Amino acid sequence: MTGMVLAKDDIKHLGWLSRIELTDNELEKFTSQIEEIIGYMNKLDTIPLFEMDEGQSGLEKKFCELRRDCANPFNCDTLNSSDNRKKEGFVKGPRMV
Amino acid sequence: MPSLLHLSAQQVRKGIKNGYFSAQEYISQILERIQKVDDKINAFITVDTDGALRQASLIDKKVRSGEKIGTLAGVAVSIKDNICTQGLKTTCASKLLEEYVPPYDATVVNKLKNSDAIIVGKSNLDEFAMGSTTEFSRYGPTFNPWNISYVVGGSSGGSAASVAALECTVSLGSDTGGSIRCPASFCSVVGLKPTYGRISRFGLISYANSLEQIGPIGKTVFDVRMVMNAIAGIDENDQTTIASAISSEEEEEEKHLQNNDKNKKNIRVGLIKELVEGSEPVISKCIYSAMDIFAKSGYKCEEISISSVEYALASYYTIAMAEASSNLARFDNIRYGFDFNPDGYEWNTYFAKVRSNFGDEVKRRIIIGSYVLSSGYYGKYYLKAQKVRAMLKHELKSLFNKYDILIAPTMPVLPFISGEKIKDPLKIYLIDIDTVIANLTGIPAISIPAGFSNGLPMGLQIMADEMQEQTLFNTALLFEKTANIKTEYPELC
Repeated sequence: MTGMVLAKDDIKHLGWLSRIELTDNELEKFTSQIEEIIGYMNKLDTIPLFEMDEGQSGLEKKFCELRRDCANPFNCDTLNSSDNRKKEGFVKGPRMV
Repeated sequence: MPSLLHLSAQQVRKGIKNGYFSAQEYISQILERIQKVDDKINAFITVDTDGALRQASLIDKKVRSGEKIGTLAGVAVSIKDNICTQGLKTTCASKLLEEYVPPYDATVVNKLKNSDAIIVGKSNLDEFAMGSTTEFSRYGPTFNPWNISYVVGGSSGGSAASVAALECTVSLGSDTGGSIRCPASFCSVVGLKPTYGRISRFGLISYANSLEQIGPIGKTVFDVRMVMNAIAGIDENDQTTIASAISSEEEEEEKHLQNNDKNKKNIRVGLIKELVEGSEPVISKCIYSAMDIFAKSGYKCEEISISSVEYALASYYTIAMAEASSNLARFDNIRYGFDFNPDGYEWNTYFAKVRSNFGDEVKRRIIIGSYVLSSGYYGKYYLKAQKVRAMLKHELKSLFNKYDILIAPTMPVLPFISGEKIKDPLKIYLIDIDTVIANLTGIPAISIPAGFSNGLPMGLQIMADEMQEQTLFNTALLFEKTANIKTEYPELC
């Protein structure tokens, strides 16, 4: 990536990293929009930040106990994949290689 | 039979319990209203007519046989369509989940059912709750019931509109950066974002886990409180839930109100200067009038300043988008999704192809989320955003040592014309400036109707320290009683 200025190729690469196929029109539109949004986020770089201990925020909470980590069996029918992709308790996906 | 549409949740329960009308009579009026007006505002994605009538008949049976009825018995509720409902489609307003029928109920839905509430349908939202106008829905935008040329706010726009249009009595929304309070303000209804952890998020389809909370929307503060009490509490399926103790008994409510009268001289109110000054003049004026109401009621009011507010929005969007890019990685169209044959595709190509069906706003947020988390940029954006979040928490903690509540506008702008800002996402993000503080810091915040300008609603936002919802409700009830804002709802017919 080229740093502060985002080019179409950067957005295409980010799209691929996010596993989202983008059309040429989308690339055109998103590049300028995302550049503007990132430009706004650059505000974060302008503030003097002091190091803060975790305890300083004063909002430490006691959360409840998590349930026991045990598997609940379920039927493949509860998955919403199309019926013609289900076979013998499995769901057919694309090939891995 | 007179119209039952205007009744509050409290009145509905009382009416059914005392036999003034049946749950079936009331629900039939609600369903008829939906049929009559929803074409104009598009608040619902799914209406569960049969389920609602079936449930109403069960409640009538309970009443007739003298069985104990729940705290929300018979009350018509709409549920934002990113909250799982067993056997009822939960689409997140997305192509990716257009056929998804959850095999389980979210904890909040379970609790509503146990309280004998009646779910009438699933309400519209911005896709995956990403937006502030409910214009980014696969099922089309929701329009503002007060003027259908204007946006309704978002992302829980369908929820707020369904309450304002009298298509239900209360609703559940989710609030990640203002998604309950914004549409509540734009629709002149009451919307609560509770303390982070007060309500279980189990069954809420995740967008940004560290920020989002489920919360109620209703016509009155009392109704919102009733619903919150019904759905709050510890849940072993959501480790972030905290024990909560707000009494739901009506006598207790009265007691709280009396105590409120006695104690109001000790309540200290801070008006957040930066947020009032940054709003449209008509809104600033409205909030200063609200402060006058509190002052005349005996509250001690002062203007205060929060220096890190300026950076809150950049921090919020960085964190929200980072979490979104991670959470939405699960939508691969294998376990749930639309019918798209994988034959002939390699895994990654298939994955990218089906995910191109996300809407524009979701794509933008996932891509930016990947950017701010990527090597070389993580320290510049995500880490800094977390530090701003800690600074803001620290600053608010000090303020809550001096003030019991903080007030500000809910939205810095009036509702605007639909489509006006849709091509400029940053402009839409900027209107969240007043609401993101509560999400970044986990504090509770409520939006209540504060007035109208040219027929368009304005909201007052009240914030309190963590787990201090009681203080919020006391203050909001006082304002609701004293300010006496117009309660005639739009006809739409």
